Amino acid sequence: MQETSTFAGVQLNSILERMAVLAAEQAAHGLSTMLGRPIRLTVPRLSLVPLCEVPYRVGGPETEAVGIYLQVQGDLPGHVMLILPYQDAFRLVDLLFEAQEGATMQLGPLERSALGEVGNVTASLFLNAIADATGLSLRPSPPAVVMDMVGAIIDIIVIASGAVADEILLLEVEFHGPDRTLEIYFWMVPAQSIADADIH
Amino acid sequence: MAPNQKEALGQPAALEANVKSAGLGQLVVSNDPAETLIAYGLGSCVGVIAYDPTAKVGGLLHAVLPQHRNGDANLAKYVDTGIPLLLKEMAKLGARKANCLLYVVGGAEMLQVAGLANGFNIGSKNVQMARAVAEREGLRLKEVDVGGNSGRTVKLEMQTGRVTVRTLGRGERTL
Repeated sequence: MQETSTFAGVQLNSILERMAVLAAEQAAHGLSTMLGRPIRLTVPRLSLVPLCEVPYRVGGPETEAVGIYLQVQGDLPGHVMLILPYQDAFRLVDLLFEAQEGATMQLGPLERSALGEVGNVTASLFLNAIADATGLSLRPSPPAVVMDMVGAIIDIIVIASGAVADEILLLEVEFHGPDRTLEIYFWMVPAQSIADADIH
Repeated sequence: MAPNQKEALGQPAALEANVKSAGLGQLVVSNDPAETLIAYGLGSCVGVIAYDPTAKVGGLLHAVLPQHRNGDANLAKYVDTGIPLLLKEMAKLGARKANCLLYVVGGAEMLQVAGLANGFNIGSKNVQMARAVAEREGLRLKEVDVGGNSGRTVKLEMQTGRVTVRTLGRGERTL
């Protein structure tokens, strides 16, 4: 990460990193409560990625993936998208269901719903942490789960941001279960108005 | 985004010989019979292919939004400015507009959730704009594969002018 990087005018190396730590703690608490056993979340890295480069970070634009999308309304409107290549989505479902690694081979309604809920809990708690730190109101929509090619999933956030965001915020989130760790990419895209918002 | 960025990004196209891929807001043209032009994973974006079978010149535009915004230097990002630019670049390689066959692919609605749909019918707006520009430019619209809720990958083989569309779960079909 570059020292000079900013996201929506915020220095990445200061406020956002603190928020990410806070958010990870909150999200871990929420997930652990939901699952009835301890799950720990860490955010080892935050970085800004050019939008056109996003598909290549997730295996290429034709990679089959699951996207979990939430729209954020309130003082800081924007979009949150979790993108998981199929294999990672399977592993996350295994982790959530306490199944053996490799047990999940396809994503039915139950698996999709579980993934949607993880996206929901993680994103909501992340947003709560930002809201707490800034005093701004942030209201996430229910999650939408999309399964398709990465390129097509990316289109959702490209369009949602009015194709104005050149860079989006990437959070590399690690889910630590009792016996395994999973790394998941978590993307945040500002609506145009975020860039104008005054964050202190 | 500059066309030369795609090499820097290490797109898979760079690994595959004779493949030129158009990323978001990019266009590619060719007069090399050995080449294939590709746009991967079109969601609400549209891929517009023009092919002059006489000159064997082809082009592929990967447009994101229907209408150009003032001040944006990247004309290929928009359907209305991208198609004329595509024809202009193809003309440089010897294509004639009157010969060109046009294919429009993509423009899906990727989100199907009530309450989230506002402002997301960009897919169909992209397709509408492509049809309107085709008519305005007097282009022959040969085939379309648009709408629905799935992403598509579209390819143009320069040698034959064959256009194929791949959708997850439904395989590849020739237009």
